[in-house]
Amino acid sequence: MFDAIRRPFGYEPVIRKEDLKKKDSKKSERAENWQSTLLRIWKLVDEHRLLLMTVLALVFVSSALALLGPYLIGYIIDEFIVPQTFSGMGTVIFWLIAVYIGHSVSLYLQNYWMVGIAQAVIYRMRTRLFEHLQRLPVSFFDKRQHGELMSRMTNDIENVSTTLNSTFIQVFSSILTLTGTIIIMLWLSPLLTVLTLVIIPMMYVAMQWITKRTGRLYKEQQQAIGELNGLIEESISGQKIVKAFSQEPRVMEEFLVKSENLRRTGFWAWTFAGFIPKVMNFLNNGSFAIVAGVGGILALNGSISIGVIVIFTEYARQFTRPLNDLANQFNTVLSAIAGAERVFSIMGETEEKDEIVLNVDKKLHGMVEFDDVSFKYEGAEEDWTIRNVSFAVGVGQTAALVGATGAGKTTIMQLLARFYDAAEGQIRLDGTPIEAMPRETLRKQIAFVLQDPFLFEETVRENIRYGRLDASDDEVVEAAKRSNAHDFIEALPFGYDTVLKGDGSMISQGQKQLLSIARALIADPVILLLDEATSSIDTVTELKIQEALEHLMSGRTSFVIAHRLNTVRQADLVLVMEMGELVEFGKQQDLIDKGGVYTAMLADAKL
Amino acid sequence: MKTVFSYAKPYKFLIAIALSLMLLELTVELLQPLVIAKIIDDGILAGDRNQIIEYGIILMGLSAIAFLSGVVNSYFASHVSQSFSFDLRKVVYARIQSFSLATFNRFPASGLITRLTSDVNLVQQVLFMSLRIMLRAPLLVIGSIAMAFVVNAQLAVYLVIVFPVLSVFLYVMVKKGVSHFSFVQQRLDQLNRMVQENLQAVRLIKAYLRGKHESNRFSGVADSLKIDTVKAFRVMEIILPILLFGMNLSLLAVLWFGAFEIRQGSAEIGELVAIVNYAMRMTGAFSMFSFIIMAFARAKSSSERIEEVLLAEDVREKDEHGEDNMLHRGAVEFDGVSFAYPGTDRLVLKNISFSLKANEKLAIMGATGSGKSTLLQLIPRFYDATDGMVKVHGSDVQKWKLRTLRKTIGIVPQQSMLFTGTISGNLSWGKEQSEQSELADAAVKAQIHDTVMRFPDGYNTRVGQKGVNLSGGQKQRLSIARALVRKPSVLILDDSTSALDVKTEAALWQELERENATMLMVTQKIRTAMKADRILLLEDGEISAYGTHEQLLKASSLYRQIAFSQQEQEVDEYV
Repeated sequence: MFDAIRRPFGYEPVIRKEDLKKKDSKKSERAENWQSTLLRIWKLVDEHRLLLMTVLALVFVSSALALLGPYLIGYIIDEFIVPQTFSGMGTVIFWLIAVYIGHSVSLYLQNYWMVGIAQAVIYRMRTRLFEHLQRLPVSFFDKRQHGELMSRMTNDIENVSTTLNSTFIQVFSSILTLTGTIIIMLWLSPLLTVLTLVIIPMMYVAMQWITKRTGRLYKEQQQAIGELNGLIEESISGQKIVKAFSQEPRVMEEFLVKSENLRRTGFWAWTFAGFIPKVMNFLNNGSFAIVAGVGGILALNGSISIGVIVIFTEYARQFTRPLNDLANQFNTVLSAIAGAERVFSIMGETEEKDEIVLNVDKKLHGMVEFDDVSFKYEGAEEDWTIRNVSFAVGVGQTAALVGATGAGKTTIMQLLARFYDAAEGQIRLDGTPIEAMPRETLRKQIAFVLQDPFLFEETVRENIRYGRLDASDDEVVEAAKRSNAHDFIEALPFGYDTVLKGDGSMISQGQKQLLSIARALIADPVILLLDEATSSIDTVTELKIQEALEHLMSGRTSFVIAHRLNTVRQADLVLVMEMGELVEFGKQQDLIDKGGVYTAMLADAKL
Repeated sequence: MKTVFSYAKPYKFLIAIALSLMLLELTVELLQPLVIAKIIDDGILAGDRNQIIEYGIILMGLSAIAFLSGVVNSYFASHVSQSFSFDLRKVVYARIQSFSLATFNRFPASGLITRLTSDVNLVQQVLFMSLRIMLRAPLLVIGSIAMAFVVNAQLAVYLVIVFPVLSVFLYVMVKKGVSHFSFVQQRLDQLNRMVQENLQAVRLIKAYLRGKHESNRFSGVADSLKIDTVKAFRVMEIILPILLFGMNLSLLAVLWFGAFEIRQGSAEIGELVAIVNYAMRMTGAFSMFSFIIMAFARAKSSSERIEEVLLAEDVREKDEHGEDNMLHRGAVEFDGVSFAYPGTDRLVLKNISFSLKANEKLAIMGATGSGKSTLLQLIPRFYDATDGMVKVHGSDVQKWKLRTLRKTIGIVPQQSMLFTGTISGNLSWGKEQSEQSELADAAVKAQIHDTVMRFPDGYNTRVGQKGVNLSGGQKQRLSIARALVRKPSVLILDDSTSALDVKTEAALWQELERENATMLMVTQKIRTAMKADRILLLEDGEISAYGTHEQLLKASSLYRQIAFSQQEQEVDEYV
């Protein structure tokens, strides 16, 4: 039992001195961040200035009325109850009732409006973060775990929301009440006031001691949460594989390690944060004792009245109560600020920007040129993923990309769509460098059928319409027919209105691809990028799709990664990639005549 | 809520300590007005200076006791709530891991994730708050009333006169609040699902320039969340002003009637002051009430959601006595198997029968949606057959211990997924405590060894969301290697070589043919299918043809059609 208390989780959790010191050296940097974080939140709140002013005015009224209440009660005790004369007491009581009504009404209204402001601010923070995420480059998402981003979008913003709802008003009412209380107390008895205020420096020292620990601990806790959430997300979305390999014990073990880590950091963070209200309470009670004792002696001399003692003890409590409230919510406030800081840090990530925006008004035709292009993924230490690649594909031509996996075929497509920017060299579309084009203009010309067809938790119809939002229902059906998806869609429980499950488990992999082809068809692009799109579709269906694709490709510049030689054979041009380099490029027949790598590949394929 | 909070039981002793410390703290505070009454009546009015000093010191001592108990309480409360949430998280996670896929699929993955993360956090927070401050408010109210009665029962009656009305009001509001907040929680879920979807589909959204479209969709959901949240809070915010007003009125009643009681000599001034003091303390505690209700409502909806998982009826995963007689190791047999996904009526597989001896190879072909993947899923018992029997190693799969069964099966899913960690970490999923050489062996067979060796850290290269960028083909081959590491008796390949180029694929097949395993492979290519001992052609969940390549060429027109179309290609290639 005692062991459980001393060593809560089987070992002695010790706050390391050096950790505390370490944080000290970085103190100025952190404080700066906090200030700017608060400033940014303030800017968001400030957009509701008029309503905010009303709320503040109401806070002022309610705080004043809250101060007036105890004063009038002290007055009643001194003027009527102690001397036992009751004439006029009714009037004062009547005034007190008015004060109480006013207090309740102003309290309600300030909260009523504040909730509106707070939620509007949160709404904006949320949507802005989301919009920002939409504008971030693909490489940003490569670097981060979904779980981590999820918790920015959910937990962190929720924390800010909770805090804005309640704390904002509390801060203002605390300040007002504090000032008001001190003024009244000084007026009633300067000596008792000074004695009451003695607690302030003590409070400061105590808070310093605590926040020094909690600040760092909260950061650690938040990090532990992020890591745990990442693991949870991954293992839940990959549950089938976990099962297939009977790896439940293994993920469980990893989970426990991360969960334990969260418990450890969380334990100390919460314990120390829990001290704050207790310290406040102590100082509060202490001042209560001082006021009662010293006040009693003063009353004995007749220098103050009993009523004053009553008022004073109440004020002494009111004086710390707002601070107490704040302290109670200190946990939330701390983690809210830390959360907001992380949210803003994502908003600070550089967006995909169109640096030089040439206005390309003319209709694009789809001539693609790669001019000595090299590229490697951010943070990759290895060699270039693509090195010195040059080629040109004319309007309406179909280029087949062939080569071993990892040779850089997918990368070429991703560069063309500007998911990434080339490190060296230039990619041109109709003679214009694509970096000089707004991404929107560029991507509008391109339709994709990606490796992993992704479908949204939406109806089949909406999933196809994703290719072109203004497409009519008829056009959707037409596209589905042309990609041979129509028949299976009709067989679904609600036809085109069937809502697909998030993981797409309702339909087969091949059907997903059919839908993703329909989605590309409806987009009607100038350039078509097919990335192994037909690989999971059975031969019968594939032949039909082949037909549809031929239609679609005619008049469009197309890049195709496919492993069916048939598909490759139909291409006008062939690009043979090998370890990031373009080893052969040219017309189908020319390459065969040449008898190089491509010929060897064709020969190998005939097993 | 009951089930969730039953996980706090192991800590009931610590909870008792925390609560009694809180009670001690509270009692001490409640004694303060009593002492003040003494100071006024016995000290000031009686003119006794020593009494005043004495009581002043007592007050100081009481504060010190309150402080100490408060600090220690914080330690215990934090200890209990962290351990509770640790246990709860563990139980929920273990429960999810133990689900059969049928049960697992009943919940959206995002829902399971929020349950494990924010829901558990919320419940934990509420427990912590209850142990420290939340219970304090109601206890303070009760204690204050009790003390008021001790001080002067007659005056105390005036104080509690409004209480019945306030209690009814509070009860109604609590009910209302709880339902409002569970609605908000649902909205929040919806929002989270959308965020998750978007994170998964980054490239697609970018490719189709749907950033704005997604943002608009998101704004719509965020907007309804905002509206509902505001509504819920506004309901809650009515509570405090009304409670305060009611309390203030009873305070006035105490003053008004107290004044007359004092004149009649049935009360003393000090007593009146003490009761006024208690009344004011109660009003202070009320400011906590709407906060408590909110927290309670959210904890309730969170724990209900957690309980959905904990109490979900799991269709299966009961390990029967556990067959361990592997007489026919590697044999796979389907005997009149029909299957519909749980909760649906449509049969995806109809009356499938075939049998494979050890080391035989079966190719499964068929159109998209004809049930190929579904058939394979019945072998490791991801789902149970609706009708008929699936036999592996000579016994009904339902008789095997799941672990034993799955250990003998190597699966390469259609969509390869790797987990955050190193490459060797991922490969060793296939077999625990595997030697580095075993991993490399499997990697060589899967044609990925050379690629891995080219990475700067070799087998210690990190993959997954924070690791290196792997191409689809590389992922596929790693996932094949992962299955080979365990030297499976049954190898299941669900069209798992689609992203490989022809050359790599050929080399891979050469290796696989040498494997000592019964193979079931979904494929589209006649060329691959021909290498199998037998071919099973599925059409709409039924066996359309079954036999060797030559048999099928004779017997099945569908097969001939496929073969013809592909042969045409082959011929094409020779030209």
